[in-house]
Amino acid sequence: MKLKGHTQPRDFKAINPWQRLLVLAMVTFTIAPFAPLVIQSLAFRWAWPNILPTVWWHEQRGLSPLPLAWDYVFSSSSRVAEATANTLGIGIAVTLLCLVVCLPAARVLAQSNFRGKSQLEFLIVLPLLLPEAAIGIALLMIFIGLGLAGTYVGVIIVHLIPTIPYMVRMLTAVYQGHGTEAEDHARVLGASRSQVFFQVTLPMILPGVIAGCLFTFLVSTNLFLLTFFIGQGEIITLPTLLFAKISGGALNATGAGIALIASLPGIILLFFTDRFIRSYPLAT
Amino acid sequence: MRKASLRSSQMLLASALVFANMSSALLAESAPGVFRSEFLKGNLGWADVTAKARTEGNVNFYYWGGSDLINLWVDQVAVPELAAEGIKLNPVRITATKDTVDVVIAQLAAGRGEEQGSVDLVWVNGENFFSLQQQNALWGAFANRLPNSVNFEWDEADARSLLNLRDFGVATEFQEMPFSGEQYVCSVNRAYVSTDQTPATFAELKTYLEANPGKFTYVKPPHYLGNTFVQSVLYAHNPDGTGAEPYQKTFEDLGSAELARLIEPGFDYLKSIEPLLLGGPSGQTRYPESSGELDNMFLNSQVHFNCKFGVFANHTGLITGAYPEQAEEMIFPRGNMIKNKNYLAIPLNSPNPAAALVAINYFSSVDSQASRLKTAGMPVGLDVWRLNQSDKDLIEASAPPHYGITQQELDDNTAPDTNASLVDVIEATWLAVIERKEDKPIADIVAQVSGELNN
Repeated sequence: MKLKGHTQPRDFKAINPWQRLLVLAMVTFTIAPFAPLVIQSLAFRWAWPNILPTVWWHEQRGLSPLPLAWDYVFSSSSRVAEATANTLGIGIAVTLLCLVVCLPAARVLAQSNFRGKSQLEFLIVLPLLLPEAAIGIALLMIFIGLGLAGTYVGVIIVHLIPTIPYMVRMLTAVYQGHGTEAEDHARVLGASRSQVFFQVTLPMILPGVIAGCLFTFLVSTNLFLLTFFIGQGEIITLPTLLFAKISGGALNATGAGIALIASLPGIILLFFTDRFIRSYPLAT
Repeated sequence: MRKASLRSSQMLLASALVFANMSSALLAESAPGVFRSEFLKGNLGWADVTAKARTEGNVNFYYWGGSDLINLWVDQVAVPELAAEGIKLNPVRITATKDTVDVVIAQLAAGRGEEQGSVDLVWVNGENFFSLQQQNALWGAFANRLPNSVNFEWDEADARSLLNLRDFGVATEFQEMPFSGEQYVCSVNRAYVSTDQTPATFAELKTYLEANPGKFTYVKPPHYLGNTFVQSVLYAHNPDGTGAEPYQKTFEDLGSAELARLIEPGFDYLKSIEPLLLGGPSGQTRYPESSGELDNMFLNSQVHFNCKFGVFANHTGLITGAYPEQAEEMIFPRGNMIKNKNYLAIPLNSPNPAAALVAINYFSSVDSQASRLKTAGMPVGLDVWRLNQSDKDLIEASAPPHYGITQQELDDNTAPDTNASLVDVIEATWLAVIERKEDKPIADIVAQVSGELNN
């Protein structure tokens, strides 16, 4: 807190009542969905119209013949560890691959002009307009033929489809915001191509790259349908595990626990990238 | 062309193998399909199968993973016990068996034939088995060739063998092995319904609902739980008083007009209770889409009854907190509590068929079924009268408790499932009559939907 060189934040009471109301509403909408999840994850029997569970997990823990709630979530039977490892691994691989594909593409789109550029920009966003289920089913047949169905490679490739459009758009905007002057100067002063990229370009666009990566990672870790189709149920991630748990139409304690775990990677990452971008010297 | 020559060369190789009477060790290395044809011809002993199974090493078991109890049993009991036999069981939890059936059929269509698929073992019944059979996607008639088949009744002369030989009226042809035997059982919340008020017939249910409107509903067809409720209504309202009997015939044998005549009183009843079901009093009848949703309605006291396949569902509901504290089982509808079995099948392109056979043999053993009964509350699929006294006692001692009723009462009130070809027509009729409220004579609707189904 001490390190922050920003202007003093205003007191919450100093903003006008309407703004205060809106802030409160925002906080409520953000936090409210988590409250019942947390309670449900600690419940044994929670029925309407009781505000709180009539029997809690810890009361039943010693009596029950099977691991309940968090005991089940943390047991090897819940597959949470495997799903978390898969989700993170796939998310990181997708993010890196996406970055490798999008950095040069975005640079060209931002800094050069060529015939058909606007059409190309439109084409790149097209996958976002198609329903995931349609992409998934169409690709499944092809991937089965290629032997990619049910493999990590297949899942990673298919995750690139909805993430590349976002990443390209974000990086294009970042490149456009910076222009090419600083790079030109460096080149005139004798910097090599790699020196220009790593010492001039990258530091300039780093906050944008981080934001793009964060977004890509979050999209990848939340993809259910594509993972489910191409992974064929053999590759389990937190979203597929959660879906399997709640598709019965009821959210029990273990389902709530898995939902909370599934939201953790995003929360942790958001926290760290937020701090990074705030403290980045070149941030505008 | 290339495929055809490949197949003929495989056949040549297969026949060469028979003449040479090759050992099982060599068989393990041989061309795809040889093991299958040799096993199905009866040329292999069980020792050959277990030897090949150990060289295969793995078995990919696809099963509905929605129950923590079953998942725990598979992971904590089945996996280590099969590991002791030299086989690694890979449990793949799925949400809908149909997805796996589709994958197998898609793989076969994409040319991934014998031993080139990904599914070794799948837990199926009813329509899913029927689709696999229709698409020639099953491995073969193995069920009567396993050592533990002695635990099952295969003799057609004994009427009780029907549950092993017919799956929703479709001949199993030994292409699947019974896994568990279930019965459609309803639970009642004793916090609201006393023993005297508890209905035992559909007429009594209606009387209860007239006094307590909105306190019952059933899972919406075409979900199999909804279909089962509708079937039991039709059995009970059979105008000839012959119950389930005519519903064992195929649609072709029965004919559209006869089916319409049989189901009309049942559908009249379903229409008459619709305004008395959950949400009915306010004009918006609600049918849950799944058993999980109905469990929730039952727990939240929106309804006072919960019907599903589950001989021990009341017990597992109580120990997991999914059922209200005062849930008890009831005998309803008297004499028409539908009973069926679910099975394990091997797809044609199973990559580890020998290991799949060994796994199925394990799942069919008395010890495995008894421990599953005890820890997961899943009824046995084997036929208890085939066992010796000590095994019978073991099964009996492993059974979870019943609440308010006895196993004998459940056994005394069973009814068989409906033929799979009729199930489709009946569910389409339900959708037309109840959901779309088509105001046409039932005979016209049956003729129309069966025509649509055949096209």
